Amino acid sequence: MKKQTHHSKWMLLILLMLPVVFMAQETITGRVVIQESGEGAAFMNVIEDGTKNGTATDIDGYFTLSVEKLPVKLKIFALGFSEELVDVKTTGPITVQVEESSESLEEVVVTGLASSIKRSNLANAVSTVTAEELVGNTGQTTVDGALYGKVTGVNITSSSGAPGGGFALRLRGVSSINGNNQPLVIVDGVYVNNVEIPSGLRFASGGNAGNEENSSNRLADLDPNDIENIEVLKGSSAAAIYGQRGNAGVVIITTKRGKGGRTKISFSQDTGINVIQNKLGLRPWTAQSVENTFNAAERAKYEATIAANGELYDYEEEIYGNTGFITDTRLSATGGDEKTKFYVGGSYRDEEGIIKNTGFDRLSLRANIDHRISDVFDFTSTTNYVRSNSSRSFTGNENEGGLSYGYTLAFTRPWVNLYPDANGAYPNNPNYSGNPLFVRDQAKNEDSNNRIIQGFKLNTKLYTGDKNRVRFVVNGGVDYLANETYVYVPETHQARIDGQAGFIAQGKNNFTQFNSQAIGVWDHTGLKGDLNLTTQLGVTYLKQEGNLVNGRGYDLAAGQTNVDQSVNQEIDQFKSSEEDFGYFSQIEANYKDRFIATVGYRLDKSSRNGDPNKLYGFPKASLAVNFNNFDFWTLEAVNQFKFRTAYGETGNPAAFGATFTSLATANIGGSLGVSVAGLKGDPDVEPETASEFEIGLDIGLFNRISLEATYYYKNVRDLILSRSLPASSGFTRETTNLADLENKGVELALRGDILNGENFTWNTGVQFYLNRSEVTRLDVPAFAQPGAGFGTGLGTFYIEEGKPVTQLVGSVNGELTQVGNVEPDFQMAFNNSLTLFKQWDISFLLQWKEGGENLNLSRFLTDLGQTTPDLETPEGQARLDSPANAVRFVEPAGYVRLREASIYYRIPRKNISSIFGDVISDVKLGVSGRNLFTITDYSSYDPEVSVNGGAGLSSGIEVAPFPSSKQYYFHLNVNF
Amino acid sequence: MMAGSVVLTSLLSCSIDEIADPNGPSVDVVSNAATKTQLDELAVGIESSIRNGLGVEVTASGIMARELYLFDADPRNTGDLLGKNGIQLDNNSFYSTAQWNGNYRAIKNANVLIEAISNTDAVDVTEKNGYLGFAKTMISYELIQILKSYHQARVDVSDPDNLGPLLEISAGFDYVIQLLNEANTDLNAAGTEFVFPLSTGFSGFDTPSTFLEFNRALVAVASVYNGNGQDALDALDDSFFNLSGALETGPKHVFGLGGNDQANPVFRAPSESAAEPNNGDQIIVHDSWINDAEAGDTRVADKTAVRPDPSIQDDLSGDYETRLYASSTSPVDLVRNEELILVYAEANILTTNFVEAANALSVIRNSAGLSDYTGALTQSALTDELLRQRRYSLWSENHRMFDMWRYGRSQTLPKDRSGDVIYSSFPIPLSENL
Repeated sequence: MKKQTHHSKWMLLILLMLPVVFMAQETITGRVVIQESGEGAAFMNVIEDGTKNGTATDIDGYFTLSVEKLPVKLKIFALGFSEELVDVKTTGPITVQVEESSESLEEVVVTGLASSIKRSNLANAVSTVTAEELVGNTGQTTVDGALYGKVTGVNITSSSGAPGGGFALRLRGVSSINGNNQPLVIVDGVYVNNVEIPSGLRFASGGNAGNEENSSNRLADLDPNDIENIEVLKGSSAAAIYGQRGNAGVVIITTKRGKGGRTKISFSQDTGINVIQNKLGLRPWTAQSVENTFNAAERAKYEATIAANGELYDYEEEIYGNTGFITDTRLSATGGDEKTKFYVGGSYRDEEGIIKNTGFDRLSLRANIDHRISDVFDFTSTTNYVRSNSSRSFTGNENEGGLSYGYTLAFTRPWVNLYPDANGAYPNNPNYSGNPLFVRDQAKNEDSNNRIIQGFKLNTKLYTGDKNRVRFVVNGGVDYLANETYVYVPETHQARIDGQAGFIAQGKNNFTQFNSQAIGVWDHTGLKGDLNLTTQLGVTYLKQEGNLVNGRGYDLAAGQTNVDQSVNQEIDQFKSSEEDFGYFSQIEANYKDRFIATVGYRLDKSSRNGDPNKLYGFPKASLAVNFNNFDFWTLEAVNQFKFRTAYGETGNPAAFGATFTSLATANIGGSLGVSVAGLKGDPDVEPETASEFEIGLDIGLFNRISLEATYYYKNVRDLILSRSLPASSGFTRETTNLADLENKGVELALRGDILNGENFTWNTGVQFYLNRSEVTRLDVPAFAQPGAGFGTGLGTFYIEEGKPVTQLVGSVNGELTQVGNVEPDFQMAFNNSLTLFKQWDISFLLQWKEGGENLNLSRFLTDLGQTTPDLETPEGQARLDSPANAVRFVEPAGYVRLREASIYYRIPRKNISSIFGDVISDVKLGVSGRNLFTITDYSSYDPEVSVNGGAGLSSGIEVAPFPSSKQYYFHLNVNF
Repeated sequence: MMAGSVVLTSLLSCSIDEIADPNGPSVDVVSNAATKTQLDELAVGIESSIRNGLGVEVTASGIMARELYLFDADPRNTGDLLGKNGIQLDNNSFYSTAQWNGNYRAIKNANVLIEAISNTDAVDVTEKNGYLGFAKTMISYELIQILKSYHQARVDVSDPDNLGPLLEISAGFDYVIQLLNEANTDLNAAGTEFVFPLSTGFSGFDTPSTFLEFNRALVAVASVYNGNGQDALDALDDSFFNLSGALETGPKHVFGLGGNDQANPVFRAPSESAAEPNNGDQIIVHDSWINDAEAGDTRVADKTAVRPDPSIQDDLSGDYETRLYASSTSPVDLVRNEELILVYAEANILTTNFVEAANALSVIRNSAGLSDYTGALTQSALTDELLRQRRYSLWSENHRMFDMWRYGRSQTLPKDRSGDVIYSSFPIPLSENL
């Protein structure tokens, strides 16, 4: 190590002497100004075209550049400005005008851990979502929720309609059954925690597991408005350099950075409302149907209510009919000088749900600093503090809790008065174990999060020469999350847990994630500039720790909300600790932008594997050929014709704890006992590894239309399964490597600037994608996936060789039968943006999911409670008489949805300056909506649903969900 | 740069330490050279885990035997278990897996203890015999429960990777009796005291000699189930059976509400008043049990109570709810003298000692406020009376379904709705890969 330090000092010396060696003869002086305002353009790159000789303008736009001889061509460019080429014949001062533009520089995409590549040279279908696409149309609560319809190959499932979300992202199908299926999320180089944290609610509701508690995933802490762009590495071929954390794909998020120059202040205010997307309505009862369904006594109650009120109680409206108010306020400042650029911003979002007393609020503060210490060193620091709170009330599966609204409403008869009396006492529900109005008003299910995400990057240019540039990059960061959960069921609640009145659960959960990497990058230019080689070599390290403590009190003192104020207490704790370590190297070669090839290799080990020090290798290779850059290419109309192919491998280690066969505590009579815990570990478990082959064609026409077509084949080997064991062994589950799974699919993305007139521009984008999966090897007999369904009686995910991993299987007349498949046949998105008369921006995004089935078990409950809206029809009555098996509850879950729509008006600059002078530069006003309408045959609230949260195989099974909402917004953006 | 070098150096030297499970002890650790404390923890774990699955065992079999309804959030309790619209029982639902998983979990714990005993020097041979006799008796108890509910059982399950075959019911009971006899030998060589703790549920049965009385009671039960009256009578002689003793004598499951303990899973909160009926999770008494009771049978009022309003769900209704247990920490009997008296009566019917059988049945009748048995002293009449007394003495304790089946009377149970089907055992769980 020491040696290298000395070496770098020599490098420094060489660097300092370089200007002397290459001293030139002629000096050009000049100024770059912004066309519209006439201001000096700071920090523009000024390069002698075709050489590496260049400089940058100072804060006022002035520059001086020495060249060997005149005349020369100067290239002037910077992010956010049009690129200019000017001929300079004499040494006199020149002035160059540049235009502000958002599309002037060709987009670059991250492909290595410390390198990037022009999109036109990319060998993978990497989807990029810009800030404009992400949040430019309408208000967005969470990053994952904002991605609908914007990325090919992604399947997004919402597990809860509660404010603050609960989303599952699947990139190119399911890549793990038992392990992590959510992509790795990296924000400014920091691996961020996207955990769903259970609250202990199941101990009050009787839910089966923590994943039935409908927690949100903690990506919700990230403000989508902070994001500059998102790159989605969907498969192993693109994500191979992330090794054993890359199996489910990688989402790389870059937040906004300072641009330098004049300090710009931007203020935005969104105001909106949340309302239920779709009400199911009441069963249209008649006196006769009440008597037929129940008895004469019920009919009398029905008639009494009609006589008193003229109508029935609409508890669906009462519970889900709240109009939730939304505000989102953002203020940011960006600016800086030659050495330091900054972006600081703060935002506060407060969102109320469609159920009274539910909501989500988030305060996010951000400071992103880029600083150039010298020509050799520069660093970036990104700091994000988040405080978020949510109140999610009670939905989802339960057993005897009397809490979940979907259950209570299914059994509540609409002629029963459940409203509190004059003393505020809520009547008991005569037909179920809970009064939903009481639960809504008095019970609590809340969480709060304090979080700091700190990223850093130190870039050291060890050597910068004409043909070789060597730099050393150290980056990484920390994500610290302190989460608290709080569930409170007053002692006056109707249902009793083991006869105990009242319940409280207080969770205190801490997570620390640290990751860092050190990378050397060598750029070499050869063959007289025709060949560029980028070589990188590095190491990575990752450490993650979690400590979850949940304290519960049962049988509460009257009105008390402290765990201490209870008769019986329980505490449980779960600790985890994991470490990963990896080496990687990669070489990218670019020959005249014609052939672009990459080979790379990564070696990883992890404490989550059976052998924590065994290294697993993950190779990658890719090739892109830009036929349009060859001399023989004469078709002017076809500006791009690229063939690309890529192969890569990634991994996914077993979940923490999979190597252990633990004994749980099983006490009796005050003595401590131990019992096998049901889960048999595998001390030799290996990571599951995926290999993916991708092939694609990119075509560009007239510089206006582009088509990106991709086919991929992804094979996951040694899938880690938590399979059911014969329970007579004493164990019910075992986690081990048991199967292979393949995913193949097609992704098409078409973009076009259809019209580009003076007063009318129209851009459109169409995406189409599909995925098919098959279990190609299974070492054990087919089995029902534990925790992903309610048994073969009602339907379950079922792991079976030769079948899709997403199939739903139920027992029909004693035979196990595939009754459905949650995988869509295909998905499409249709995105349009129009600009009218320069000031009006109109856009909308339609999303279409074709095919795919859900198991609607909410209907089982309403059928049982006799409250399903269609039960006055012969079809509904016929259903009641059919056996309660999976066939009865499977439903088509396709839909077409207007995901986003907006209209904005930008006030013309001249109008602004006539009123505000130079104080305000831009004002934009708009209205928008999200999830405005849905066309679907699905009979419940939303075909997008998951009773088991976001993990594993979870989507498509519905039990009493939090109904989805639609949102309407009014927007105001002001730039100072 | 310096910072970078430091990071790089630390990274290159990285070796990852194997992590011990931070959340609990591992099975491997206790299997080899266990300490006495670890052995005791395993023993306590067995007593704790024999309660696993008890709630579903009792309620699901009670529903199928038309003793009771369970009205709760799970519709399968009023659907599948009653064969609504002809639906078949599912081998992958909670009602078919909960008891099986729970019983075999306890058996596994006992097998872990047996293995730990053979690999430790922490206790002497006499003390080891105490652990072994306890563990084998508990395995036998659990196997009896499995055979009653499933009519089949795997008995050779000590190696999870090489499970033995499923035995049919008669072979299963033969194995149980043989294992109980092995435990008998162990217990006879176990000294005067157990060195491990037992809960107050085993008060009076917590030494090797008194625990043996429980062991013999199980032999008697298994013998009548196998149709062997004489073996049952012999075993009863050495058990705590007492024709004139208190009916409730016997070892019990005890319950607690503290952390990692379990509550009585068959307790249900009583309706407090007309304004506050229990409308949540309720065990409702099947009307036929009320209607068929002899006038004056005190067991009806002891075990059930009229609700303020009838409970109706899924086209089923009942006027009575359970009062079998007073609270969520009330104990549940493993086997009590009352059952042994009925076993004695049954064994005497099987051995055609009809007078003695009638005598035993009269003891039960008298205890319920009824007069002596005056019916015919024939096999068939006495069997009818036996099943009637078992129905009322052992209501909601997982006996009725098995009793009706073993006497071939399952299909005489009442059906509440047209289209309902009567099932008399649970399907073997899907995970057994049959």
